[in-house]
Amino acid sequence: MAQENITFTLPDLGEGLVEATVLEWQVAVGDVIERNAPLVEVETTKSAVVIPSPQAGRVAELHAEEDQVVPVGEPLVTFTVETSDDAPQAGIVGRVPTEEARPARRVRLKPPTD
Amino acid sequence: MTELIERTATTTDVPVVELSMQQAINRALRELLAEDPDVLVFGEDVGALGGVFRVTDGLQKEFGDKRVFDTPLAESAIMGMAVGLAMNGWRPVPELQFDGFAYPAIDQIVNQVARMNYRTRGAAPMPITLRLPSFGGIQAPEHHGESLEALFAHTPGLKVAVPSDPEEAYGLLLQAVRSDDPVVYMEPKSRYWDRRPVRLREPSSPIGASRVVRPGRHATLIAWGAMVQRCVRVAELAAEDGVELEVVDLRWLKPIDTAGLAESVSRTKRAVVVHEAPLTAGLGAEVSALVTENCFGDLAAPVQRVTGFDVPYPAGPLEPQYLPTIDRVLLAVQRTLEY
Repeated sequence: MAQENITFTLPDLGEGLVEATVLEWQVAVGDVIERNAPLVEVETTKSAVVIPSPQAGRVAELHAEEDQVVPVGEPLVTFTVETSDDAPQAGIVGRVPTEEARPARRVRLKPPTD
Repeated sequence: MTELIERTATTTDVPVVELSMQQAINRALRELLAEDPDVLVFGEDVGALGGVFRVTDGLQKEFGDKRVFDTPLAESAIMGMAVGLAMNGWRPVPELQFDGFAYPAIDQIVNQVARMNYRTRGAAPMPITLRLPSFGGIQAPEHHGESLEALFAHTPGLKVAVPSDPEEAYGLLLQAVRSDDPVVYMEPKSRYWDRRPVRLREPSSPIGASRVVRPGRHATLIAWGAMVQRCVRVAELAAEDGVELEVVDLRWLKPIDTAGLAESVSRTKRAVVVHEAPLTAGLGAEVSALVTENCFGDLAAPVQRVTGFDVPYPAGPLEPQYLPTIDRVLLAVQRTLEY
């Protein structure tokens, strides 16, 4: 298993907003978090929102202090994730299907007599 | 079909490499871009990103952003652009990112791509291959698991190809892109990660030919895309009960290999069609009709259909119940055996 750093930038939180202010980090460096866990609360000119984590992994670096203004597209957080070289990666949508070595069955067949 | 005969390969020295279906399609695209300077690959995120499923990975880097390029998120415009490019001598290979997002482009596909050759009395052929990641099986959200094959097969002027494994994906894409007719090439997303040895050979059978994946004598299972592998599984289980099922991979849903189907079913005397799409007016009805018309005297039982249900494609967790299960296919086989 190799390790890889993935950096997540501040997304446009809607309708062409250009920046957001970090209100409160809900994770700390070293935390191991799940995908979609609350990551950070930020405030835009429209509202305060909690951004869920786009990624499971260990938090390696927070790129902004609380009360700091972050432009859209600038780094927000870096994760360290375990990667396997031969593990198939799903696309942006969906998950890699798994195949049962021996599929379950309930129906038995009777060969035809002809 | 003459273009294929010219391209029949020698059987010696065919390289064999292990590839996933994603990589096999990528390999075919790379070879097509290299062999024909008129081939263009474009769509949403196919360029810099390399496609959401990595299918076009590295192609822009290798062939430049004039031949492999990103488009706006506008499916109708993607297909409209393909029409204009084809009219000006290019050989476009557009991608629409997911099956469900082909609907906004149906006007271009049905009213322009499929008809231009006919409308212009052959002056403006449409050598377009629409790559369409299709079907379900990856627990994706709505619009990412649709089966549109009956819609395309019903449209005069379109050909429809569906690969079921990496080697088929490689060969069918070469055939599709080299064809001067428009082809909808439906990639079964749930098989993208399927890795197998691939013989990198020229297509050896003409457009429209089916193939026997597994021979058998008691009944024929007819499928395409991801359901082919499911039918192979069913055949393995049936063999434990002493029932030998033949599995036919249709490969081309337009034109359909009527002769190939008739050859198989006239031997086995029973047929079961399996597809992911809903039952009503699905392509299984067409296959069933063709088999019945051509094998009526040989059939020992009515042709059975095992399909998705007549409901909108369900959200991820319900997918295993919606898609034809192994037991549902086995039950249909038993119905034909007991008839």
